[in-house]
Amino acid sequence: MKPSIAFAAAAAASLIVASAASAQDPAHPNIAGVWTLTAPVAAARTIDGKVPPLLPAARAVYEKHLAQAKAGDRSFDGVSDCLPLGMPYIQLIDKPIQILQKPHTIYFLYQENRLPRRAYIDQQHPDDLDTSYLGDSVAKWEGDTLVVDTTTMNDLTVLDASGLPHSDQLHVVERFRLVGGQLENRITITDLKTYSAPWTTVARYRKLPADYHMLEEVCRAQSLQAAPTGK
Amino acid sequence: MYLPTPNRRRIALAMGLMGGLVAAGAADAQAPRRNLNNGADVTLALTNPSSPGRPAPKGAAPPNPDMHDLQGHWWTSEFKPLLGPALGVPAKLKPKYMAILEARIRNKNKGIPEADASTQCWPHGTPRVMESPYPIEIVETPGMITILMETQHNVRRIYMNVPHTKGLGESFLGESVGHWEGDTLVVDAIGMNTRTFIDDEGTSHSNKQHVIERIRKIEGGAKLQIVNTIDDPETLDEPFSYSTTYHWRPDVRDQEYICEENNRNTVVDGITTAK
Repeated sequence: MKPSIAFAAAAAASLIVASAASAQDPAHPNIAGVWTLTAPVAAARTIDGKVPPLLPAARAVYEKHLAQAKAGDRSFDGVSDCLPLGMPYIQLIDKPIQILQKPHTIYFLYQENRLPRRAYIDQQHPDDLDTSYLGDSVAKWEGDTLVVDTTTMNDLTVLDASGLPHSDQLHVVERFRLVGGQLENRITITDLKTYSAPWTTVARYRKLPADYHMLEEVCRAQSLQAAPTGK
Repeated sequence: MYLPTPNRRRIALAMGLMGGLVAAGAADAQAPRRNLNNGADVTLALTNPSSPGRPAPKGAAPPNPDMHDLQGHWWTSEFKPLLGPALGVPAKLKPKYMAILEARIRNKNKGIPEADASTQCWPHGTPRVMESPYPIEIVETPGMITILMETQHNVRRIYMNVPHTKGLGESFLGESVGHWEGDTLVVDAIGMNTRTFIDDEGTSHSNKQHVIERIRKIEGGAKLQIVNTIDDPETLDEPFSYSTTYHWRPDVRDQEYICEENNRNTVVDGITTAK
């Protein structure tokens, strides 16, 4: 079948088929869509703009990472091996993030090497999980705020592009809400092996046009699909 | 470097199956072997099909009978190393491309398979990505049906009731658009680059490849069936069709699949071994 014929058939079919299955989540604010940071995050900082409260050993690691980055060596963040960036780093890079919203699950689909993250609504973390790069995310709605709780991350990643370290005790809580058309994500980091106290940073995302199509990125092929020319 | 957790064993097995790396394994040698075109040339031996997915265990949530709700987890019960008009029968390739397929099969049987998408952590291309021996999840949202694949963290987006994008940039999975014809989801995919093979054995395709999938629930939703039709005026003398079925698997909880980590290690009998 030629695509044009398929489209004609599709247009006819769409008139008679209303899919209840595709309904997303009428009971909550609609955070679905493709989002991208309002500004790149060179280094995660606390809400009052400070370096997070690193414990002495962790501070030494961070200073080493800063020096490495200055010398052009990013071996600390896994990017050069095409490994996942981990949490919350993958939420803090300047690449589109698609959110699919269903009553039972929020899906974060990253352009970054096509990685997905699922946040299961009103579920508990299983108690027998292996660690992973992106951890295990469960979520609940608190009024207009989606609270996503992520645990069980491995210690092979850093928290942000500047190389803030973490341990396998990392616990990340994100609070997403719509603010003036933007999506705000207040991220609280708790990792008492690395930081003396929990700390919070804020990321903001703007929405890309509704007809934006996610592009395919394949790190190991060093390829990013070209944007359509429209011709 | 890392202990082989159950998760990593699952990864290693997937890579073996999808990469044709277990073709000469001991278990395989006991099974009947077909050669390409069923000829006598054993250097053209084909890797046996397998049955990776199982039905849902007892006590799992019953299938959803709504024919237009394909959502949830599915796991194919078929793994076909060669995709063609029938099991073990190759596509009607033009002579140049048949020669390439034969060369790839001979190299595989010599234990030096040509590096393909599996071993390089690339997406497998459309429709091969649907042949993954690991679970998939389908999500329906307004205007889009998304298929999340555990294998190589691939994401396939099917844009509903729209034409293909003008000036589309090539990609591994191409662009898929879909519409419903009665109870069948019809998906039309184009725009695949030439960095993948159609199947594990190494059937070639060009960037003119055109895939149409007819996807529907069968057996009251206990299974999902996809009938694929592949056309490629560059490589094929005629289009061919085949079907793949998947079990409804509401019990599956998604696992992180990181090929990029795993392929630092070697695969021996489906178990990861650190280099």
